[in-house]
Amino acid sequence: MPAHMPSRGMSRRDLLKRTGGLAALAAFTAACGGNTGRPSDSGGGGNKVNLSQWYHQYGETGTKEAALKYAKAYTDANVSVQWTPGDYGSKLSSGLLSNKGPDVFESQLNIGMVKSNQVVPLDDIIADVKDDFQPGDLATNTVDGKVYGIRMIVDPQVIYYRKSLLDKAGIKPPETIDDLIAAAKELTTNKVKGIFVGNDGGLALGGPALWSSGGSYLTDDHKPGFTNERAAQAFSKLHELYTSKSVLLGSPTDWTDPGAINQNLCAMQWIGMWAVPGMQKALGDDLGVIAFPALDAQGKPAVYSGGWTQFVSAKSPNVDAAKKFVKWLWIDKQDFQEDWSLNYGFHIPPRKSLAAKAAKLQSGVAADTVKLNADYGHTDNPAWTPKMGTAFGDMLTNIIRKGADPAGEISKAEKTVNAELSRLFG
Amino acid sequence: MSTRTAPAPVPRESARKGARRPKGIAGNTLWFWLFVGPFVVGLLIFSYLPIIWSLILSFFEAYNTVTPSKFVGVDNYVDMLTDHNFLSSLGTFTLFAIFIVPLTFVLSLALALLVNQVKIARAFFRSVFFLPTACSYVVASLIWRLSIFNGVRFGLMNTILGWFGIDGIAWLSTVSPPWYWIPIVTVRLWLQLGFYMILFIAGLQRISPTLYEAAYVDGAKPGWQTFRYITLPQLRATSVAVLILNLIAAYQAFDEFYNLIGNVNFARPPLVYLYGISLGTIQDLGHGSAGALILAVIIMLVTLLQNKIFGFGKAGD
Amino acid sequence: MTAIDRTTGAPQPIGYSRSTLGRVALILRWVALFIAVILFLLPFYLVLRNALSTEADITSPSWTLFPKHLQWGNIKELFNDTQVPMARALYNSAVVGVLGTAGQLLLASMAGYGLARIPYRHADKVFYAIVATLMIPGAVTFIPSFIVVSSLGWVSTLRGLIIPTLFSGFAAFLFRQYFLNFPRELEEAARVDGAGHFGTFWRIVVPNSLPFFAALAAITFIGNWNSFLWPLVIGQDSSSWTIQVAMSTFVTAQTINIHELFMAVAVSILPLVLIFAFLQRYLIQGVTQSGIKD
Repeated sequence: MPAHMPSRGMSRRDLLKRTGGLAALAAFTAACGGNTGRPSDSGGGGNKVNLSQWYHQYGETGTKEAALKYAKAYTDANVSVQWTPGDYGSKLSSGLLSNKGPDVFESQLNIGMVKSNQVVPLDDIIADVKDDFQPGDLATNTVDGKVYGIRMIVDPQVIYYRKSLLDKAGIKPPETIDDLIAAAKELTTNKVKGIFVGNDGGLALGGPALWSSGGSYLTDDHKPGFTNERAAQAFSKLHELYTSKSVLLGSPTDWTDPGAINQNLCAMQWIGMWAVPGMQKALGDDLGVIAFPALDAQGKPAVYSGGWTQFVSAKSPNVDAAKKFVKWLWIDKQDFQEDWSLNYGFHIPPRKSLAAKAAKLQSGVAADTVKLNADYGHTDNPAWTPKMGTAFGDMLTNIIRKGADPAGEISKAEKTVNAELSRLFG
Repeated sequence: MSTRTAPAPVPRESARKGARRPKGIAGNTLWFWLFVGPFVVGLLIFSYLPIIWSLILSFFEAYNTVTPSKFVGVDNYVDMLTDHNFLSSLGTFTLFAIFIVPLTFVLSLALALLVNQVKIARAFFRSVFFLPTACSYVVASLIWRLSIFNGVRFGLMNTILGWFGIDGIAWLSTVSPPWYWIPIVTVRLWLQLGFYMILFIAGLQRISPTLYEAAYVDGAKPGWQTFRYITLPQLRATSVAVLILNLIAAYQAFDEFYNLIGNVNFARPPLVYLYGISLGTIQDLGHGSAGALILAVIIMLVTLLQNKIFGFGKAGD
Repeated sequence: MTAIDRTTGAPQPIGYSRSTLGRVALILRWVALFIAVILFLLPFYLVLRNALSTEADITSPSWTLFPKHLQWGNIKELFNDTQVPMARALYNSAVVGVLGTAGQLLLASMAGYGLARIPYRHADKVFYAIVATLMIPGAVTFIPSFIVVSSLGWVSTLRGLIIPTLFSGFAAFLFRQYFLNFPRELEEAARVDGAGHFGTFWRIVVPNSLPFFAALAAITFIGNWNSFLWPLVIGQDSSSWTIQVAMSTFVTAQTINIHELFMAVAVSILPLVLIFAFLQRYLIQGVTQSGIKD
């Protein structure tokens, strides 16, 4: 007795009533193939070439407007800025694979980009001012003696801390990793955690910890540099920190955002200098800075000199025009470079001449950071490929979060790194 | 939702079936392609072409390029099948499926039974459970990550724990015990239970009341007995559909893992790992494609196996 | 309670519900229902609460049940945020949702009808070729798909967002199953009147299947509105972002404004909640009918 079932068939009356909807459906479909509402690329500046410039999304207010302003000020080409939210790395990857990618883009160099001809050498445009760049900022963009990118900004990553909280607990800024762990424990209350090193438990600290033990990702002769006993010891210390119950985890914002320290969720935070204006706004002068502390008396403090670099895509149909634009913006236009480095987040200008003039970086905690970067900064090695980075990250996850045996994990990562090295260098 | 019910106890059905073949219309082949052609052409361009492209890539060394030149044979496949990260991502998926498939099945059936037996405001209850279907994984992950399961004092779960004097938990960051499974499983349950519940309600409403009446006449007790011997068997087709849809969806898990915990090696389903290899900064499209095809083959095998076991597809005509 | 509840298909014998056991069971069922309702509505509450709070309210150590002063200004803040073109994103999502849904239904329904009703020697093979695509996860072929689309010049266009998603093997599969069950009597009546396949399809089959179309349309629209990965890759230019992509900008920004983010979430789910309110009947009815053999 399926009387309760809704009647599936329809009367003729319904039938007539509903054909109207069908017509609408067809109309929509017809419209689908047509105008997509996007202006065509041509138009505008006569015979000038069009260049597409890609940025990742900077967090600080005003950065996008600034990028647009620079592009507009350039008169020799029509530069369109793509401001990319979300996963910039993968978007850039897919863009570079296609013919619709950028002409000019910001990224970090690795040898794979050179081997697969994604970027062009920029030696000719940097030649005149090469001496004005910090050696590390050149080295990180050099493969086989050729410079492939113009460093835009340097972002030192360090530990910022609340002076008042350290004073209250009666402790001095940590000088060794053990001090750091002890301090984090000391500073932890039921409301505030000692330190925030990222929601992943401190993967960002892997490199600095390695450097602080005297190691490096790769040695100068392209061998893994993270495989000795001291490196294992440094990684174990990160595990010790992670399990000390004094590390903030699960914060709504990650370590790149000053939210955690600003909202008084932690007393110390691993973060880049870009966040200094934001932290000063929330915390005033209650801010100090240290490098990642030395592993022990034999070790040395470490700062990661991250940052962004401008490249020209080898796939660009207008490589020369793109190079000209890069030279104009990142070599000639010093006022724009200064604006970009100092007026939004804080970054160190890679040009010595500009850095020397940067008044905002010459006092307070920013000046301290700049000094730490000069003394202890480490830049990326372009021979270190993303695949090696992933193996290294997996190793850290296993050691730090799962408490795996460092020696075993190191040898696993070493295997991947060696395979990559033999692929790249034979 | 597509399933056709198991043969209903209405004899008229089977008699009618098969008795009618469509009457011949001139130019059937032409008409067939007029109807199906546009769809098939699109499918060829936007599904098959990319699949074939992936297949080709999987036999090449393809770093940072989709037009590779160095043929490496089956090396990429060998590498992937011995890659402990890839294997452990398959393990992660299996664990995820073990949680999510039975949970979804049982809970959505339970919701359907509850809603179905309510006489007041049934539409209201149904709507409430169905409403999350309107939300995206992006939205749900944001709510889960920033508001319910964040690890700090103003997260909802930690606030509630705080009322009982329990310390806050970093839900998404704690590896031992693996608390992160709670947000991951609950976010998917919240999003999809309503959808499967609707399928079950539909299935329940198709069960003829005469079956129950007959059972009562025969002395059956309501409750477990009728559920076991009438409701469940009658829901067989719906159950199979729910299981298959659910399993396929679970295999393709990506969004909530990616948005909630990111690409971490302790809870990384295969798609997140492959995305990282081929689309992250690594751009190793040869290995990525090989892994993707291995995954596709596994999905096909499991689906076919399930079909064999449950007999889905017999209804195919 | 009536003896046999014919409307639910889960009847109970006379007298059962009056027993003590029955009463306990009844109470337990209601308790379970209410707990479930609370759990299911909780996330919506959080969205509203956070969207209308100040940042300080949200991050305060003590839980505020609901903001004392509703911050309607958050809406203005959201739409004035130059980093995220919300209005444009809403428009794009609407276009993608409507055109994508219409196109997908048209293509899939015709294919489904052809497969179900037009005799053709290789129809089975075509059908299997379509179903096979269901087993390949979309993300798996994601890079080559992007290459195909970009070689067509469709990156950052609505075309690129819409057209590649139109060919849903799943929708074609559903339509085929549905049309297999469509009463032949109706079609044959049309045939007698001299209609061909095309006429039968448009004049008889489609008009008699509108609830099913409505159901799929609702599901497809929701899917289109909520899809994230494809729009993220194709929409490189902020003028072609959808609402989901726009929301993702908040999370990846170095600085997250939780209240603004949740306002964006609220704005993004509002249209769908409204659509749900109006289309739910069709949605549920269509799902129900899709499985019925008549």
